[in-house]
Amino acid sequence: MSFRPVLNGSSRIWQVDVLGAGKTRRGPAARFHGALKRRSGGGETVWPQPAEGQDSGSLNLISDANFATRWQVDILKVRDARDVEQAVRAAIASEQPLEIIGHGSKRQIGQPMGTNAVLDVSALNAVTSYEPNELIITAEAGAPLADVMSLIDSKGQQFAFEPMNTAALLGTPEVGTIGGMIGAGLAGPRRIKSGGARDHLLGAHAVSGFGDSFKTGGKVVKNVTGYDLCKLLTGSWGTLAVMTEVTLKVMPKPESERTLVLQGLDDVSANKAMTAALGSPFDVSAAAHLPSSAFRAGTEGPAEWLSHEAAITLLRLEGITASAASRAASLVQLLAPFGAARVVEDAASAELWSVIRDVRPFAAGAALGAWPVWRIVCPPAIGGTVGQQLARETGGDVIYDWGGGLIWAALPPKADAHAALVRERAEAVGGHATLIRASDEVRRNVAVFHPQPSGIAGLSERVRASFDPKTIFNRGRLSRSGVP
Amino acid sequence: MAIMMPAPDEAVLARRDEIVAALRAIVPGEGVIDSNKEMRAYETDGLTAYRQVPMVVVLPDTTEQVSRVLKYCFEQGIKVVPRGSGTSLSGGALPLADGVLLGLGKFKRIREIDFDNRVVVTEPGVTNLAISQAVAHAGFYYAPDPSSQIACSIGGNVAENSGGVHCLKYGMTTNNVLGCEIVLVTGEVLRIGGKSAENAGYDLMGIITGSEGLLGVITEITVRILQKPETARALMVGFAEVEAAGECVAQIIGAGIIPGGMEMMDKPAIHAAEAFVHAGYPLDVEALLIIELDGPSVEVDELIKRVEAIARGCGSTTCQISTSEAERNLFWAGRKAAFPAVGRISPDYLCMDGTIPRGMLPKALARIRQLSEKYQLACANVFHAGDGNLHPLILYDANKPGEMERAEAFGADILRCCVELGGVLTGEHGVGIEKRDLMPEMFSEIDLNQQQRLKCAFDAQGLLNPGKVFPTLHRCAELGRMHVHAGKLAFPDIPRF
Repeated sequence: MSFRPVLNGSSRIWQVDVLGAGKTRRGPAARFHGALKRRSGGGETVWPQPAEGQDSGSLNLISDANFATRWQVDILKVRDARDVEQAVRAAIASEQPLEIIGHGSKRQIGQPMGTNAVLDVSALNAVTSYEPNELIITAEAGAPLADVMSLIDSKGQQFAFEPMNTAALLGTPEVGTIGGMIGAGLAGPRRIKSGGARDHLLGAHAVSGFGDSFKTGGKVVKNVTGYDLCKLLTGSWGTLAVMTEVTLKVMPKPESERTLVLQGLDDVSANKAMTAALGSPFDVSAAAHLPSSAFRAGTEGPAEWLSHEAAITLLRLEGITASAASRAASLVQLLAPFGAARVVEDAASAELWSVIRDVRPFAAGAALGAWPVWRIVCPPAIGGTVGQQLARETGGDVIYDWGGGLIWAALPPKADAHAALVRERAEAVGGHATLIRASDEVRRNVAVFHPQPSGIAGLSERVRASFDPKTIFNRGRLSRSGVP
Repeated sequence: MAIMMPAPDEAVLARRDEIVAALRAIVPGEGVIDSNKEMRAYETDGLTAYRQVPMVVVLPDTTEQVSRVLKYCFEQGIKVVPRGSGTSLSGGALPLADGVLLGLGKFKRIREIDFDNRVVVTEPGVTNLAISQAVAHAGFYYAPDPSSQIACSIGGNVAENSGGVHCLKYGMTTNNVLGCEIVLVTGEVLRIGGKSAENAGYDLMGIITGSEGLLGVITEITVRILQKPETARALMVGFAEVEAAGECVAQIIGAGIIPGGMEMMDKPAIHAAEAFVHAGYPLDVEALLIIELDGPSVEVDELIKRVEAIARGCGSTTCQISTSEAERNLFWAGRKAAFPAVGRISPDYLCMDGTIPRGMLPKALARIRQLSEKYQLACANVFHAGDGNLHPLILYDANKPGEMERAEAFGADILRCCVELGGVLTGEHGVGIEKRDLMPEMFSEIDLNQQQRLKCAFDAQGLLNPGKVFPTLHRCAELGRMHVHAGKLAFPDIPRF
C-alpha cells in the first residue's frame, strides 16, 4: 500500500493505494508514518509529545496542535473495508490519531479534536442490499443519507426514528452519510413512539482500534447474539470503531398523517397538553411545542403557522387514513380543556414536523444563527418547567419535542454558553445537556457532552478502551481531558 | 453432560464453610442457604437437562447487600451466578459447583409508577406480568410479553433481552427499558439512565440489556409503559402448504401492515395444541397463521379486511376472524400452550430458538423436516413469523440411551442452518450454555474477542457467570494486546470447553 498525494486546496488528500487482492498487505505502517511526517512543515513539532507521566494513550495537548495546523490536515480517502483496516493499522503503528468523517457534516459537533489526519470513508457509498419485504437495508457507512432515504421512500418505507438533518442548524451543505447518522444518533420527533437510531441499527461491520474488522448483530430483525455492540456504536461519535457497513431496520410509511395544532399555550400548559395526549390510547407519534418567541427568528416553513405571534403545540397521529382521522377527532375532544385544536393534514403536517425535526427556528442562517444551541434531554413531563425557566434566566429561546423530553435551547452568546446553568437545570430533573452548536473557541472552553459521574465515566472509559486502547479514533471529541 | 462447564476450583471448595459464614455476616437469617437439600431448588433453570447444585445460595434483599456480597466474592476470587426466576431456556442461570448463586427473588417491589412520564421503576424480581397488572387500572401495560410472563422476572428479561409475540410491533426488552441500577462485580453501584428517553454518553443500558448476567447485577430497572390499544382482533388462517403461509407473511409486511403479533405453527404443533386446549384449530392444514391486529377499532376492522384478502390471494384454505375477546383468546390459547402441549405427547423436548430472514421460512422448515428424518426424532415448530424467530421443539426421551445427545445434535444443526440462511443463533432466549459452543458458527475469533474485551471492561477477572455465552475463556490481558492473530492461540493452556 502507498499513499499518493492529491492536491485539494489547503489540505492534501492521500489516496490509499492498496495492492491487488492476494498480494501482501503488510508494511504500510512506515509509509503511512512517513506520509504524515512529510507535511509537518517548518520544522515544528506537529505531533505533540506525551506530557510527563502520561502514556501515549492519554494525550491531552493535541487539540491546540490541531488548531494550529488544521490548514494542513492530511485526508486518507479509503475505498473499502480493507483500506480502512490498513489505514487504521498504520495509524496504530505510528500512534497517530485519526478523525473519521463521511461528508463531514457534523464535524462541528464535539470538542475540537486532537487529530491531524482524516480518515474519509465517503467512498464506501454503496447500498449493499435492500429487501423491502424483510424490512431491512444494508449500506456502506459512507452511503449518502439523502440517497438512501429516497431509495426506501420509493418503496413506501422510512427510517421510523426520523433522523435529524443538521444542515440548517449547523449551516452546512445538505449532506451527511448513513455512518454519520448512526455515529451521532440524533433521532427526530417519532423517537417517543418508535425509538431512536439505537433501536433501528441491526448489525454492523467495523474496524476497531486494534486494526481488526469485526461484525456484530445480524441482518434479521431479532438481531442480537452475544453482546449488542450496535447499541454502543450508535451515538458514539466515531470514538469506538470505524463502521464500514451497517444494516438498518426500515418500516412502512404511514398512509396518512394528521397534526392537531393548539394555539397560545404557555410552556407549562403545553407540556400538560402533550402529557395528556401521550397518555391517551390514540397512539400519538409526535408531540412538540413552539413558544411564540421562537418565531422571532423568521423561521421558514408553513407561513400560516410559523409567522403567527401565538405559540403552537403540535400533536401528530399517523396510520391508515380512517384511523388517523378518527383518532384526531377523539384527541381534539380530549384536549378541549386546552383550547380548540385545528387539524392539519398530510403534506402540510409533514412540513411542520420537518421544522421541528431539524430545529429550523434556530437555523444558522436565521436571526439566532450566532447563538449557541443546547440539546437537553429530560423526563418529558417536566420539560416545560425546565425550558421556561432557562429561557427566562438567560433571555434565550427554547422549543420542545418528544412531549417535553427534548428541549432545544438557543441562548444569547456568552463565553461559556451558559454551560453551568444549563447543566444545573438539566441535572436537577435527571436530565443531561449537549452543546450542539457553538464556536470553536467556546467548544474549547466548555464540555460539549454532559460530564458523567465518576463511576459511569470510569466504566465508559474502560468500554472505550476495549475498542480503541490507543485512542486512535476521534481523540478528544467527547471530553476536554482528552479521554472521553 | 454434553456441554462442559469450567472445572471447579478445589481451593475455593475447601473454604466453603468460611465463605458461607462470611456471606451470613452480610445477609442475615434465611438469606443464605447452604443445605444440599434446600439448594436443590436452584440446581437448574428452564433448561432442565443441565443440573448443578451451587456451592451456596445467597438471597439478598437490598442493593447494599448485593454490593457487599459481590465485593466479598471479588476480593476472594469467587465466581457468582446471578438468577432471577430461573425460567431461562438457555441455561443462563445454571449454577457452578464452586460458585455463589445470587438470587434476586427478594427484590419484589415496584418502586414507582409515573404515569405522566409513562414509566415504572421496579425491582428486578418483579414478574413481567405484575408490571402490566400494576398499571392496568390506568389503561397502561408493559409491551414485551414472553410466554413465561406469569413467572419470569423483569430482571431476567433485561439479562436475556426477552421478546414475545408482540415484539414485532412493540420491540424487545431493549427497546422498552430506559435505565437501571447495576452493581458491578467490584461492588460499585452505578445508576444508568432513568426517565429520560436517552442516556448521556455511551449507551451502557443498551449493552447491559441482553448481557446474560456477565456484566453486572441489576437491582432496579426503569421501563417504558404504553397505553393499551383500544381493541385487538385476530385472524386464524390455515394453509395447505408451508410455502403459501410464508408468502402470506411476506405480503402482509410488504403491504405496509405491521400486525401486533404474527405467529405460525406447523402440523405437529397444531395437532399437539389442539389435543391439549381444543381451540378449534383446523387439523388438515400444513401451517396455521395467527395474525393479531390492534389499535382503534376503525383501523383494526379495515386491516382485518386487507389481511383477509391477502391470505385468500395466497391460497388460504381456512380463515376465521375473532368477533369477541373470548374468541381471540381462544385462538391464542393453543399457541401460548404449545410448549406444555408438546410436553404432553413426549417425555422430554428441547425448545430451540433461532432467527432467519422471514423469506427463508419455507427453506428452513424443509431442512428441519430432513433433519428430523436423519435424527429419527419428531419436531414440532412454532414460529414468530413476523420477525423470523423459529422455535422448533425437538421431541425425545431422556431415558432412552443416546436420545438426548441426538436431540442436541439435531438442535445444533437447526441453528447452523439458521446462520447459513442469513440468520442468527438466537431470537429471544439468549446464548447461555445451550448455544455457547455454536458461537463460532456465526462469529469469527476476532468478533468474539471484541465482545470479550467488552466483558473485560466490566469484569476483568471473569467472575460473573463464567462458562456462559463464550466458548473459550481468554485472559483479559491477552485480549488487550495488539495484533492477536486469528487462529493462533497464544496460551494453549487456558481453559476451553
